[in-house]
Amino acid sequence: MSEGMKVQPDLEFIKYLKNAGGDTLKKCYQCATCSVVCPLSGDDKPFPRKEMIWSQWGLKEKLVADPDVMLCHQCGDCTTNCPRGAKPGDVLGAIRAYAYTHYGFPQGLAKLCSQGKNLPIMILIPTLIIGIVWWLSGGMKLPDGDINFGYFFGDAYYVLPVTTLLIQLIFVPTLLFAIYAFYRGISNMWKGMAAQLPATERNFRPSVTQFISEFIWPSVKEIMTHKRFNECGTNRNRVTGHMPLVFAFIALLAVTAYAMIRKDVFGLFIEGLHVPLTFADPFKILANVAGIALIVGVGILWVNRSRTERENNTTPTFYDWYPIGIVMAVGVTGMAAQIFRLGDVAVMAYLLYFMHLVSVFMLFLYTPYTKLAHMFYRTFAMAFEKYRASGYVQKQD
Amino acid sequence: MDKKYGVYICTGCGIGEALDVEGLSGIAEENGMPVKTHEAVCSEAGRQVIKDDMANDGVNIPVICACSPRVWKEEFNFGEGTITVRANLREGVVWSMEKPSEERSQEVINEFTNELAQDYMRMACTQAKKIDIPEASQQETTNRRILVMGGGIAGLTAAREAAKAGHDVLLVEKTDKLGGKALGWRKQLPTKAPWSSLEESSIQELVSAVETDSRITVKTGTEVARVAGAPGDFKITLKTTGTRTEWDAPFRVTVDEQDKIEKGEMEDPNQGFRPYTEGNPDAEVVGAVILATGWVPADVSEFEHLGHGKLANVVTNAEFEKLAKEGKVPANVAFIQSPGGEDNDKDFPYANSVTSMVALKQAGYVREDNPDGKAYILYQHMRTPGNMELFYKGAQNNDGIFMTKATVTGVEEEGGALVVKAKNTLLQEDLDLQVDMVVLGAGMRPTTADASTINLSYRQGPGFLDLELFDGYADSNFICFPYETRRTGVYTCGGVRKATDMVETIDDACGAALKAIQCIESSDRGVSVHPRSGDNSYPEFYFQRCTQCKRCTEECPFGALDDDEKGTPLPNPTRCRRCGTCMGACPERIISFKNYSIDMIGSMVKAVDVPDDDEDKLRIVAFVCENDAYPCIDMAAMRNVSLNSLVRIIPVRCLGSVNMVWIKDAMSSGMDGALLLGCKFGDDYQCHFVKGSEIADKRMANIGETLGSLGLEPERCAVRQVAITDYDKVSDVINEFIDEIMELGPNPFKGF
Repeated sequence: MSEGMKVQPDLEFIKYLKNAGGDTLKKCYQCATCSVVCPLSGDDKPFPRKEMIWSQWGLKEKLVADPDVMLCHQCGDCTTNCPRGAKPGDVLGAIRAYAYTHYGFPQGLAKLCSQGKNLPIMILIPTLIIGIVWWLSGGMKLPDGDINFGYFFGDAYYVLPVTTLLIQLIFVPTLLFAIYAFYRGISNMWKGMAAQLPATERNFRPSVTQFISEFIWPSVKEIMTHKRFNECGTNRNRVTGHMPLVFAFIALLAVTAYAMIRKDVFGLFIEGLHVPLTFADPFKILANVAGIALIVGVGILWVNRSRTERENNTTPTFYDWYPIGIVMAVGVTGMAAQIFRLGDVAVMAYLLYFMHLVSVFMLFLYTPYTKLAHMFYRTFAMAFEKYRASGYVQKQD
Repeated sequence: MDKKYGVYICTGCGIGEALDVEGLSGIAEENGMPVKTHEAVCSEAGRQVIKDDMANDGVNIPVICACSPRVWKEEFNFGEGTITVRANLREGVVWSMEKPSEERSQEVINEFTNELAQDYMRMACTQAKKIDIPEASQQETTNRRILVMGGGIAGLTAAREAAKAGHDVLLVEKTDKLGGKALGWRKQLPTKAPWSSLEESSIQELVSAVETDSRITVKTGTEVARVAGAPGDFKITLKTTGTRTEWDAPFRVTVDEQDKIEKGEMEDPNQGFRPYTEGNPDAEVVGAVILATGWVPADVSEFEHLGHGKLANVVTNAEFEKLAKEGKVPANVAFIQSPGGEDNDKDFPYANSVTSMVALKQAGYVREDNPDGKAYILYQHMRTPGNMELFYKGAQNNDGIFMTKATVTGVEEEGGALVVKAKNTLLQEDLDLQVDMVVLGAGMRPTTADASTINLSYRQGPGFLDLELFDGYADSNFICFPYETRRTGVYTCGGVRKATDMVETIDDACGAALKAIQCIESSDRGVSVHPRSGDNSYPEFYFQRCTQCKRCTEECPFGALDDDEKGTPLPNPTRCRRCGTCMGACPERIISFKNYSIDMIGSMVKAVDVPDDDEDKLRIVAFVCENDAYPCIDMAAMRNVSLNSLVRIIPVRCLGSVNMVWIKDAMSSGMDGALLLGCKFGDDYQCHFVKGSEIADKRMANIGETLGSLGLEPERCAVRQVAITDYDKVSDVINEFIDEIMELGPNPFKGF
């Protein structure tokens, strides 16, 4: 007799999913209504029906290596149409939450970010790091003259104080660390997904340029246009919140990089560059527009989620609320710090700037393990999907 | 009785426009019957005309020539001392009139249709002359006590319900304890809202309720040796469980076997038993019997690939329940519901929906007893009817209960553990499930499958007949008459009737108790219990001419007729269902009902006017079963389906009641064919009297031979099966038969 899959249901995994928003998963009775409404579902892969029974059976290994789970962007059609109230969309969200923790590097940090009760520690880490550096730098006092966040870490002056660069010392490694964590997590995911392919389809390895041009870039284009969002029924208006958020992120990343290079690189040598940008500066205009877009976008998502929870009886989870909270914190503290700076309320301005740094630090450090990680995991899952469907893989014998 | 006729022709519903009413009236007058017409005989005013005639002129046999006898039954029932005869001019003639075609013009059709109506008039007048008003058979005594056989949930509930309704109950249980199978349950399926979790067994409450009920006499350690007599007066002989007594019910001995016994070629199997006709003076008397003898776990040994009996720890659900009650539940258990592997997806035999629910219950034990317990349910069908859907949902919500539809191909032993191999699962993978124990969802085999159980002391033997058609369930027609067995006065409930869960068993037992009460009350009034409920006619025998041919005693589908040593039938009116199969069987034509006799139908056949010089005007008589085929033709007429106007339809109680003399009557009066339309017969029969249409088919084959010997084509007589849903086909069935007759040409003996 042929060998079948040796099933070892993981009761802990089921419990995790139930606590992470998938409390309804056991209700599914496999009618496949979800697969009929889901645009991701194919003839030979009834999605998310099969994921539902895998979840019921606690088949963790299969689920974390399932690209479909990552490709789902929770349009909510399956949940709306489910006749049994099993809410497949929410279950898939819970599986993704689990997957980010599962693939997260290092595991300790990933686990820390998986539960709401750890939020105080998550806040405390950057607060202590930035607070101690701030205190040691000697910048923790109200400086004379105009408010200039450029002198947050000390104001000793020749061209620029060395302590100014403390900000780079904190944030650049954090960012690099996050990127490395992403790299580790995504390559684990990729290996897991590839292992699920039939043996004959596992051998193709694309070159880097081919990988980027044929798999990643088309995926990014698709994401930017929010093409798949537009196929959604139930949660269609999420585009109006999510799209400004995406572009705001990109814009803010760009202006921050610009500001850092201009102020803290060229500013080292050229006097007068280490000052706030004027409001007429195109970069400043972009920054403010993006800042507002960020707050508005995340505000829309906030309202949407509250409404979903109210109307669809969805269970609120830390996984879903953390990204909304942290992005809102980044946006509001940044904007408020600028307003108090202009209003010349120094205490408030510096305090809010400190909070802004703390929230940006959290944004950088924790993104690989929280819902925000979807920006990379999903992109690579889409790339994997294109890879799997590509002629190169299919042709392998 | 003084018979006074009154003919009432209705001109409503299109009858007046389509038919020559004057001509019809003339026929009544020819028969010496006063006739009146009314535009709506069924109306208050129309019926008042009849009532007035009854009051003023003493009319007691109104002949209503209007709609089908199946409608306005109550309105045209004029009470005691009267009997209504109906001529079906509406559905039978006007509504089913042919439409003009190349073969028949409107003129010809009008002529044919009027002839049809006139024949129905003649037949109705003849029927009126021949009919008599039946009087209910008089019972000497009616005993109202109810015997309940079996002290499980079904028997206990039936006993209690019957007692609550005011009947004394004799409850017989063969073991020494009441409670039955439920005593071995660790927990029971939910019986009330919210239906989602297991309950502690409530059997003890039921047992003590029965034990303390003053109307109920309980006899444990006791079996029923024989049940003699008839509804209202059953004689029950009891015995100690497991013993053999002279009063045990004798085995059935066929006529041939009796011959051999007499010649000494065969041993009498009933040596030492009292003859079945002998009455035990010490017998307990009851009015009706409820059979609740339950079930035994069905055998699973035929499914060798599942390893029961070979591999340790492969057990049946019944065995697992016992282990569970003792607290021996392992942590990883697979429940297999369907043993067919890749050949079929059937559940275990005798499973019904119960095994699904038992698997859910027992999966619950695995979870209760093991914090990390895992229960796998592999099913082809998950059947949780009614509120049990909530129980299914509850089990499904349990983290450690895993369910999938699956084809289980085998169970193997691997390193001390069991591996269940499953294909075609919902997980889209073949599975190898490693478990500590495998539980097979064995079904509930009714006790009637293996023994006569009821132990009747009847001419036709101690058990129910033809049970192989129903896998051993004592059944007369599961869909139409769920409680009925083929023995009037004996009603089954619980596991012996159907694999049922507890809630269903309780409902079932209430139903059986009500049926038993209905039977006793009907017997007391001398009327039929079922399916002709309330029919006060019964077959009467003219014994002087009986030749002891035993056909009636053999053919009665309900074993109503016993016989004496010579073979003369001994009628039991309260066992009788009034189908008339005995009347159809009798070659001497000595069995008839007051209102349904050999003479009456025969005369109706002969009343048809048969033209002997017109080859286009063939005459076909159709005896149509009034249970399904006749309503079916009515329905066709209501849908304006044309019926061939050469056919003269006579409704009969059952094809079994069709005596072959009527066919001879038809042929000798020059009719060209005789058609019998009745219910389906065979393994999935639909006959309301179980055997009637099948017996009719055999008789017709025989009469065909007789006709052949007379030089008539056997094809002129035929039986066709019609279901009640065949209203779109019945006209074609008739036309095909007529086409065959047309090919044969007219009856060569016409006019002689």
